[in-house]
Amino acid sequence: MASEEEMERYSRQILLPGWNQEKLKQATALIVGLGGLGSASALYLAAAGIGRLRLCDGSRVERSDLNRQVLYGESSIGLPKVEEAGQRIAALNPSVKLEKINVFLDSYKAGELLKGCQVIVDGLDNLGSRFILNQESLKKRIPYIYGAVHGWLGYAGFFLPPQTGCLACLMQPNLSQPELVPVFGAVPGIIGLVQATEAIKWIQGITPSLLGRLLIYDGLNLTFDIVTVEKNPSCPLCSKA
Amino acid sequence: MVIYLKSGGELRTKLQPDVDYYTRRVETEAGLSLKDILAGIGINPAFVAFALKDGELKRLDYVPSEGDVITLQPPVSGG
Repeated sequence: MASEEEMERYSRQILLPGWNQEKLKQATALIVGLGGLGSASALYLAAAGIGRLRLCDGSRVERSDLNRQVLYGESSIGLPKVEEAGQRIAALNPSVKLEKINVFLDSYKAGELLKGCQVIVDGLDNLGSRFILNQESLKKRIPYIYGAVHGWLGYAGFFLPPQTGCLACLMQPNLSQPELVPVFGAVPGIIGLVQATEAIKWIQGITPSLLGRLLIYDGLNLTFDIVTVEKNPSCPLCSKA
Repeated sequence: MVIYLKSGGELRTKLQPDVDYYTRRVETEAGLSLKDILAGIGINPAFVAFALKDGELKRLDYVPSEGDVITLQPPVSGG
């Protein structure tokens, strides 16, 4: 049951038709990567009253992160992202239970990371780790909310095989990736908020608008296109799931 | 067979457009996949994640038809 304080905090969203705050309170979301995408999604999941956030990132804050990673400030530089993110989230909403995992996905058993989660939010910064996450989500049948950015461009999708295709249906893992990705700061903000929106809708029992689809956001021309990601019958991953 | 490839951003410079700012006219053999066509015009397919045609997503194994206008989408890996 929601307390009086919680009823007040969430009063504006409780007004939404069909809203169930208790469902959010009971849910756990995993956010892997606390950069620009993870900053936006973590803040809004916490503000909405998610019960538990499992945060995974092994990096420390750098000054060059601050144009887009809104969880951090100048005083965060050099400190572990999960710790700084945890403090910021706790200040925003102390009722959110936090699990802080200060490792990179590659060096951590991804299967362990997913245990007990209702939804996976991708805040990663490389394709290799995204494919690991995609594969683990397939094994565990937990929805994977993909997000990625480059320059003015952002992608977001919601994959839940066998109902939908997966990341490997969309693209190959061996694509070109630059060492240093240019990013206009608001782009991961927008994509991260789309990911948070889709996560909350899923938890609420509302069909995510990006289920089996891909949002292509172009910040330079301010266009939002949504396309269907057809299941690839010869997908090396999900066709056998 | 002629098709038209389009792209914006950094991929545009690799495409070397000749029709307008975004578009390149490509003469190609019928029956080739998009991946083969890209390789044939000197674009490493690793620079293209997927493509769009008439609002539909196409993978690189898509075999274009005469007159297709195809937008190439780059890999996006940042977070």
